[in-house]
Amino acid sequence: MSVSTDRARPVAGRRRGWKHRLAQNGTVRTLGPFVPVVFLWWLVAELDVFPSAFFVGPATVLAEMADLIYKGILPSYLADSLNRLWNGVLFGMLIGIPAGFVVALSTWARKLTWPLLMFFQAIADIAWLPIVIVWFGFSLTAVTFVIVYTIVFPLMISIVAGVEQVPRDVIRAARSLGAGRFRVFTDVIVPGSLPSVATGIRTGLGYGWRALIAAEIIIGSSGLGFMMFDSRRAGEVTGVFVGMIVLGVLWFALDALVLAPFERSTIERWGMVKTAEVGR
Amino acid sequence: MKTLEISGLHKQFVDSYTDEVVTAVGDVSFAVEQGEFISVLGPSGCGKTTVLNIVAGFEKQTDGSVLVGGREISGPSPERGVVFQSFALFPWKTVLGNVVFGLRMRGVPRQEREPIARQYLDLVGLEGFERKFPHELSGGMQQRLGVARVLANEPEVMLMDEPFASVDAQTRRKLQEDLTGIFESKRPTVFFVTHDVDEAVFLSDRVVVLSSRPSQVNEIVTVPLERPRDWRSVLDDPDFRHTVTHITDLLSGDESRVVQADLDSA
Repeated sequence: MSVSTDRARPVAGRRRGWKHRLAQNGTVRTLGPFVPVVFLWWLVAELDVFPSAFFVGPATVLAEMADLIYKGILPSYLADSLNRLWNGVLFGMLIGIPAGFVVALSTWARKLTWPLLMFFQAIADIAWLPIVIVWFGFSLTAVTFVIVYTIVFPLMISIVAGVEQVPRDVIRAARSLGAGRFRVFTDVIVPGSLPSVATGIRTGLGYGWRALIAAEIIIGSSGLGFMMFDSRRAGEVTGVFVGMIVLGVLWFALDALVLAPFERSTIERWGMVKTAEVGR
Repeated sequence: MKTLEISGLHKQFVDSYTDEVVTAVGDVSFAVEQGEFISVLGPSGCGKTTVLNIVAGFEKQTDGSVLVGGREISGPSPERGVVFQSFALFPWKTVLGNVVFGLRMRGVPRQEREPIARQYLDLVGLEGFERKFPHELSGGMQQRLGVARVLANEPEVMLMDEPFASVDAQTRRKLQEDLTGIFESKRPTVFFVTHDVDEAVFLSDRVVVLSSRPSQVNEIVTVPLERPRDWRSVLDDPDFRHTVTHITDLLSGDESRVVQADLDSA
């Protein structure tokens, strides 16, 4: 028994070796799953399953993308969209984070605002667009309003959940080590609720991103959403495809460059994501 | 001098589902001398943790008084540091950061904090782990950190709420011996809550045995064991066995009374 396993181990080890290395490679891990999708896409386009006015292949889209970048349209639209998103996210976090902690920490604030939170969270972001256009016109303010709106509520709700998740004993420990209420907040409640706050920011950003595209489709005069809708109006499916791909790539980039590194250096470093282990 | 004086402690609370008034602590009085190790032992659910929570300032008693150094307590304070069963470490702070926390809160100057913290980390055997995070330590080591974090604050009394209940049996023996060692060298005043009779006798100078709910002091047993203590010699000591048997009898007698009472009421 033991002999056979001993003999088998090096072979298995070697075989797992290159597979393991391949699986560890970042590029392979990120792009690998897209290979069959792109192939399928190419195949469907090549076989002319749909007329080319409705469905175009990867090569056409890539060429169109290069052309749009070359002409400077894509970069400038992209900059517009990101600028709007940034504005919305910034104000959304400036409002949502303090408001979330106030509601989480004060019982009367929670009792007073919780029904309102539930009510307003239920009104979809785009449902605000008609009235927002009446109030602010086709402007940056209107788009910002919608994004802020979509970010604030999930952020507040996840902060409330996060504060509730901070173990009671950890707060008590801080109190019995000499921390006053303010230090308990800054040194225990804020870092202790960070896993949930990070999730809230992630969710909020995702919602905000979608709201932005929706807003641009309806009230935009530039930006990715506008580009996609404008292409459709002109009967140019390729532009729509380009827009969709850029959206996906951008989210990937945001996650890889901002969200994931932040989480790695905080809650993952502290072992707080595999939660149960810490509280054991 | 009495470091901790508990007199006529009584705690009632209202069950939020049934609106029934429950008496958690009936009438508890005892005192702890400075530099004494005292354990509170009782059947499960007898309210021993409630007593600790009141002394820690986490809960307010319905009646009675708790004096530390002759002064009535009010709320949690670094003079009554707590070691928790759940460790309750700060996962976002390093080992050193956890120990320094109390010193920082008490306004100890920055340059003095680290030497003090290192001294206590050495005491509990965590030197070399300063830059680790708590989740990178084993359960036993996490609780050592919990002890160092409290002792660094030099509390009047260290409160320990079943601190070794969530570590494995082997580690628990080791931690108990190390705690005895620390106690014998530093002589802090310790208030230790446990349901483990062996543990209570091994560690303590005196054991406060509580009756079942509503709890009262059944007997305060003085442990006739010499210090320094270690498990090897203590287990062979007839005095140890005798004390353990006596306390076990006290607890089981209490339990059979409860069973009898339940039968009577049924």
